[in-house]
Amino acid sequence: MSDVISKNDLLRLVDQWLAEGKRVIGPVKMGDGVILYAPVAVSGQLVLDGFVHPANSIKEAVFPRSETIYTYTFNGQEIELSDVEPDCTECIVIGARPCDAASLPILDHLFNWDYQDKFYNARRAATTVVTLACTEYDDDCFCTSVGLGPAANQGSDAMLSSAPDGAHGTCVFEVRALTDKGQALFGGKTGGKTSAAEIKVPISDGPAKKFDTVDIETFLKNNYESEAWRDITMRCLGCGACAYNCPTCHCFDIVDEGDAAGGRRVKNWDSCQFGQFTVHASGHNPRAVQAQRQRQRIQHKFRIYPEKFGAILCTGCGTCTRNCPVGLGVLNTLEAIAAIARASIEVK
Amino acid sequence: MSDTTGFEPKIVAYVCNWCTYLGADLAGTNRLEYPPNVRIVRLPCTGRIDFNLIIKGFEMGADAVIVSGCHPGDCHYTAGNYHARRRWTLFRELLETLGFEMDRIHFAWISAAEGKKFQQFITEITEKTRALGPYTAYREICEASR
Amino acid sequence: MIDQLRQTCKKLLEEGAVQVVIGYGQDKPSMMPHPVFITKPEDTDRLVWNDLCFANLAAYVTRKEIKALGKPAVIVKGCDERALVVLEQESQFTRDGIYVIGMACDSLPASGMGNPRAAKCASCAVRTPRYADVTIGEAAVGSSAVGSSSCSTADTEFADLDEFMKKTPAERLAYWKVELSRCVKCYACREVCPMCYCNRCLVDKNRPTAIDTSATIKGNLAWHIARAFHQAGRCVGCDECTRACPAGINLRLLNQSLAKAAERAFAYKAGMDKETPPVIGSYSLEDKESFIE
Repeated sequence: MSDVISKNDLLRLVDQWLAEGKRVIGPVKMGDGVILYAPVAVSGQLVLDGFVHPANSIKEAVFPRSETIYTYTFNGQEIELSDVEPDCTECIVIGARPCDAASLPILDHLFNWDYQDKFYNARRAATTVVTLACTEYDDDCFCTSVGLGPAANQGSDAMLSSAPDGAHGTCVFEVRALTDKGQALFGGKTGGKTSAAEIKVPISDGPAKKFDTVDIETFLKNNYESEAWRDITMRCLGCGACAYNCPTCHCFDIVDEGDAAGGRRVKNWDSCQFGQFTVHASGHNPRAVQAQRQRQRIQHKFRIYPEKFGAILCTGCGTCTRNCPVGLGVLNTLEAIAAIARASIEVK
Repeated sequence: MSDTTGFEPKIVAYVCNWCTYLGADLAGTNRLEYPPNVRIVRLPCTGRIDFNLIIKGFEMGADAVIVSGCHPGDCHYTAGNYHARRRWTLFRELLETLGFEMDRIHFAWISAAEGKKFQQFITEITEKTRALGPYTAYREICEASR
Repeated sequence: MIDQLRQTCKKLLEEGAVQVVIGYGQDKPSMMPHPVFITKPEDTDRLVWNDLCFANLAAYVTRKEIKALGKPAVIVKGCDERALVVLEQESQFTRDGIYVIGMACDSLPASGMGNPRAAKCASCAVRTPRYADVTIGEAAVGSSAVGSSSCSTADTEFADLDEFMKKTPAERLAYWKVELSRCVKCYACREVCPMCYCNRCLVDKNRPTAIDTSATIKGNLAWHIARAFHQAGRCVGCDECTRACPAGINLRLLNQSLAKAAERAFAYKAGMDKETPPVIGSYSLEDKESFIE
């Protein structure tokens, strides 16, 4: 038995959430056609079909690109610090892809590891994620290679699956509440129960597996000094287009911004691919060359994080690969590594 | 001095040390009164004035920004103001494309002998800026970024 | 054309004339063509050439990882070659330190998806590289004059910008506030740009901080103003920044505004002729100053 909701009713629900002062984030089409997850002001802005994946991720809901963590004012010789309360506005992410939702349980490990990040946790508690199962995929998707899939429910509070036509003559979604939060959102709001046989929900099988994470982990353990890193990643320009749009990348920089009267300490996204990322105060840079930085990225995602937290730091969404100006991204790097691992070439 | 709404414009003037700054000095020694709204920032030459300083002026709350230096041909460092003039020609276009209010940005040549011109110029700009009101557009941008 | 290109590169590598060929490859048919670095003659079969070869490979000539490989041969389209001219003007390489392989562009078909690439090609004046060591392919009949530094297509070149400037200043600012609020400061625009080769960018400076690193509207505006202005008279309009931006920001308009200013005020177009003094860094006693009070 599943609940269904028509698209119109869903959009009405969204407008109701907005009227209640909640923040709603979903796929929105921007000026030049690019689709990004962004806050909406009216439900009509949401785009729920006709594309594979937005160009960014939903991590902004819990980990914003720039966040003040405290403010300070100068008072003669004294400095006054003021705490900033984390933003607890209730937030609903609607139309998230399963690969994006799956990043949240993965990030939970890091933000509650040696320090309980109150900013992350407050936003996480206030956010409900409604996923939309995937009906299609493209060549850059590889969720199935990292243990996920088009209808994976990790990180999702409620899953929508679009059915071409229910009994109502309009587009309908099957709704499955997966957690209490999801139940709270949709309980009693759906259009009534139908038996599973009445609606056909086309879920895609997902892309074929493109590599084996065990092969990858073995390669990573045994080929740290390999010149293959240089060859595979030579074209990387060291921007942050991959890391910033990645649902699981979480590195941040802490800076002070202000003037003679005072200012704020702020936490900003950072990318391990930037040349200055590992510069020491002495001027020494242990990762001075792009190959070293790329190696670290892959090591972090596919060996270090799994060893530490038992989760791969990648959900196979393909956003890095789609955004990369030179066509690299995690997928192409891993496929190159997997090819080497398969051929069992001993590289020096 | 202040009008009924009480708005006092904040004006930042980036001036060169050898001409405009001395012109301002001359206005002072001649007891020529000009409005106190202007904050003068002294630099060695207009050639050193980075475009980023103009943006910083607005970021810090200026309602108008003035850049002033030696007349062409009189630069203490020979050609600094020629380079500055070129830079300003291009920078103004960028600011216009971005939608800056161009009547809040002023470029001038004021020499060390032109104390009177300095007085008149500052008075005029202050009144113009008072009539325009605070640069709320830029303030909003900075407030939204706190 | 592709066979001739591969043969040329193979010969260069075999003879040791160059140690690496910077070109386009397409390792999977489903991928867009991407930069490749060929060091072995037998690998030159990886090279491709088609209407999706967007990347401006001139960006790699200044990168230390590439320089470490030895003398490069770099494959350039006419627009990319303009970048090489500017880099040479700025002493980023000596002409005999690189080997330039020029590719004549057939007119690139408009994808019809609002891709800014189509916009830049429609008014391109340099469809055939002019200073290459070897040029492969020929310009189609009727294309713009080779080697012309005149603004023969200036009317169409800035059409988008002229249209945009019809808005009021308040409308323009509102537009940029929306566009730039999407910026996450990933610096993809900076990294793909051949002209952004500073070892330490102004935005990375923090003693003191010159430009806010935060991706707030204030920080984004300051960054894009700085980058656009640092490109004044240097940007060759390859539009790679616009293509690379993951948030789809219309950076082309900003760069065009400075290119138009350089052309209209100083009759200068970046990258057309190595001998013309760069527009910033030189001056004329006759420069106009109507805006100066």
